[in-house]
Amino acid sequence: MELLGTVVVLTIKSLIFIIGMFLGAAYLTLLERKFAGHVQQRPGPLHVGPHGFLQPIADALKVLTKEDLVPDSVDKVLFYLASLMAFVPAIMILAVVPFGDPFTIFGVEIKPYITDLNVGLLLALAFGSISIYGVIFAGWASNSKYPMIGGLRKAAVLIGYEVALGFALVGPIMMAGSFSLREIVEAQQNMWFIIPNILAFVVVIFCILAETGRTPFDVQEAEAELVGGYVTEYTGMKFGLFPLAEWYIATFVLSAITVILFFGGWNPLPLMGWLPIPAFVWFFIKVFLLFMFFLWVHWTLPRYRVDQITELAWKVMLPLALANIFIVAIWIIIFG
Amino acid sequence: MQLWIDNQKLETVSERFENINIQKSENFTSIQVEKNQLIQLLKFLKEDLGFKMFIDFFCVDYPLHNPRFQGIYLLFNPDERQRVAVKCWAEGDSLPTITSLWKGAKWAEREAWDMFGVKFEGHENLVRMFLWEGYKYHPLRKDFPLRGIEDTYLPSLNLRPDEKPAHNYSPYHTVLPTMEDLERTQKARIQKKNQIVLNWGPLHPGTHGTIWFLFDMEGEYVKECDIVLGQLHRGVEKIAENLTYTQFIPYTDRMDYISALCSQVAYVNAVEKVLGVEPPEKAKYIRTMMCELQRINSHLLWLGTFALDLGALTIFLYTFREREKIMDIIEGIAGIRLNSTYIRIGGVAKDLPEGALDVITHFINDFPEKLEEYETILTTNRIWLRRNVDLGIINEEDVYSYGLTGVVARSAGVPYDIRMIQPTDAYDRVDFEVPLGRVGDCYDRYLLRMEEMRQSLNIIKQCVEKLKGMEGEKYIATDNPYVLPTLNEVFNSIESMVKDFNLRIYGEQVPEGEVYLSGENPRGELGFYINSKGEGRPYRMRIRSGAFYNLQIFTELIKGRTVADAVVLLGSLDPVVGETDR
Repeated sequence: MELLGTVVVLTIKSLIFIIGMFLGAAYLTLLERKFAGHVQQRPGPLHVGPHGFLQPIADALKVLTKEDLVPDSVDKVLFYLASLMAFVPAIMILAVVPFGDPFTIFGVEIKPYITDLNVGLLLALAFGSISIYGVIFAGWASNSKYPMIGGLRKAAVLIGYEVALGFALVGPIMMAGSFSLREIVEAQQNMWFIIPNILAFVVVIFCILAETGRTPFDVQEAEAELVGGYVTEYTGMKFGLFPLAEWYIATFVLSAITVILFFGGWNPLPLMGWLPIPAFVWFFIKVFLLFMFFLWVHWTLPRYRVDQITELAWKVMLPLALANIFIVAIWIIIFG
Repeated sequence: MQLWIDNQKLETVSERFENINIQKSENFTSIQVEKNQLIQLLKFLKEDLGFKMFIDFFCVDYPLHNPRFQGIYLLFNPDERQRVAVKCWAEGDSLPTITSLWKGAKWAEREAWDMFGVKFEGHENLVRMFLWEGYKYHPLRKDFPLRGIEDTYLPSLNLRPDEKPAHNYSPYHTVLPTMEDLERTQKARIQKKNQIVLNWGPLHPGTHGTIWFLFDMEGEYVKECDIVLGQLHRGVEKIAENLTYTQFIPYTDRMDYISALCSQVAYVNAVEKVLGVEPPEKAKYIRTMMCELQRINSHLLWLGTFALDLGALTIFLYTFREREKIMDIIEGIAGIRLNSTYIRIGGVAKDLPEGALDVITHFINDFPEKLEEYETILTTNRIWLRRNVDLGIINEEDVYSYGLTGVVARSAGVPYDIRMIQPTDAYDRVDFEVPLGRVGDCYDRYLLRMEEMRQSLNIIKQCVEKLKGMEGEKYIATDNPYVLPTLNEVFNSIESMVKDFNLRIYGEQVPEGEVYLSGENPRGELGFYINSKGEGRPYRMRIRSGAFYNLQIFTELIKGRTVADAVVLLGSLDPVVGETDR
């Protein structure tokens, strides 16, 4: 009976998370378009609903009702699988991301996370990596030259940045002594982990830009060179899932993990703990600031060439991540 | 300003070579030589007399003469600033190739083969330039009708079998390239089979129009590259032979549609030269001002698309913000935004409207700040430097050999600017500098274009100052018999009406002769060779397009670089397909 209760609660919670993330991602597209619009001195979406507020819904309806073309020459199984491979793991990372401390309403304890695994961070990394296979599959299954080059580029970028990302995350884990994201947050109550881990933070920022394919690292879909990159052959919602997964859900979730690792998660900002703001609001404020930072970078910078990106990964990012481990180790020895 | 070869050099040539025929006139000086001596003469001109820069090669068709085709080579001496034309009859419809002397002749000879059917002995890859492989005719020959040869049976698809076709319906049409024809064109250019051949274009966001690139790729690297032009070929040179000189002005807009005013000015200047028309002072300043506005406009579009190619999306919208203002200014003055047929033989079409100079003054006060804004985002940006520096290096040798002009030539340190070398309009009375590059890479070309925008602003400022004191003066020299009268004059005097009628129906009866005159387009030297037989239409008009020759070096520069570099390189060479294909 208890097991059944857990299953029901978990199912309801997962559904809330997934639907919330879907709606959230839809409105993140609006946020990005508005942000880009204002960066570029134009208003952005304006006409659907008040101030374009219903634009994501119109977009979703449009994408869902588009004709779903599948070219004859593609590998059908992989072609379908690829868009799911990109999307599902990205949203599954949410399972281990906590949005706040457990709290009690009407005598019921509510945990604002699906599960608190003791290997949560590793799981998040693993899902993040699987998500990228979607892109590579899409490039390969399309049986076309531009998508294939896009997919190969993505693979080249990822090999470099996954390694650097893995090493960069070692610092916070060492300081917290745990893989559980909740315990990592609890360990930051007095001081955020950014203090000794600043190098790791830099590496993580670059890795997120590279993994989610935002400018300056958006080589896999460089529209001037590769038309649409790996999504050239896709249409309709199969196409829609890729940017949704990469640009919004993955960026959002990875931002959340970065906030948890370096900025104290749902702990309030320094000297602002007296403000009557709930913990999860603090968390979302931080995540959105970080998300906006990625948008800002995306809409400002030109793009690197793929060999320059891999060069950056191996020659700069990996040594920085290793140096960070060294610094943190010394920090732990000195300050305990 | 005279720019043709001096007498001393002509004497040296005539001492050295027998059987040559020197035709010297004010606007064109040519040396006619026999076919067997052609290469020696060109070599002599290149190596001993310093005519080392290749400008253009084209043919002229004389159907009644034997041999029928005459090839004309235009060369330039960059040290003494002299031009020379070498003419040679194509005996047996063939000429020796000069690609061993100037690599830039490769495409020009292919074009001559395509358009006239003149063969070139020893040419490495003599295939069609604009039309497709398998097309039987050579359209610039005089016996090729303007509407094409209708020899292909193409029945109407909506006609029912029992229905009688309309009285003027003919099931025969000019032939169109089929998919198989295009594939044959593509295959004729590919040798290797073991590599990926990437079809980059014809409709691709990175190619800025309809250029078709074929990349033989090994991984990301381009081993061989070939360019298939002609998707936008409209036969402008053929059209010109069938129109009066005034009627052709709108067609110059449609060649380089991004810098329409510059093309008009270059064309009208050439026609005025051969007609001997002198536009009034005010028109000269207006032309100079409009040209420079158009140059800024064109460079802004270039900057936007170049940054877009490199992934900086925001710059694109920033530059369009300013470009829109220039468009509005041009629209206010000429009445049309893009293809503003504003320049007329003998002046300009309309006077400056009231307040135009105020708007322009406001713009030139406002613009330097915006230019700073672009430079802040790009010039010292590390990613921008990594993508641009040391890519596509062009040296002085390449400039002369390929006939590169415009910013591409100046980035290599060659001070080749027609505005300086042969000032037309008011360019000799305004003060400006020609920025030069040191390295010759894409970054240099970027910096040069940015600096050129500043210099253009400077020129506009001086023109505005001058024009402020010229209110009410004549803007078109309608006293001249070759110049169309204004609407007001036509409605008020019978002489003007007769003159208008005559000029519109019969065209300007240009005296017999030849002229080559060029203008500094934002994309390079845009030259017009006009061969007149004393009729209202040119016998032959050749348009020397800067973008056509600049694009030619792309295939050399891209070898061994990645596809990502191709966009940068193409963007920095800045071709406009309307002008390359004509």
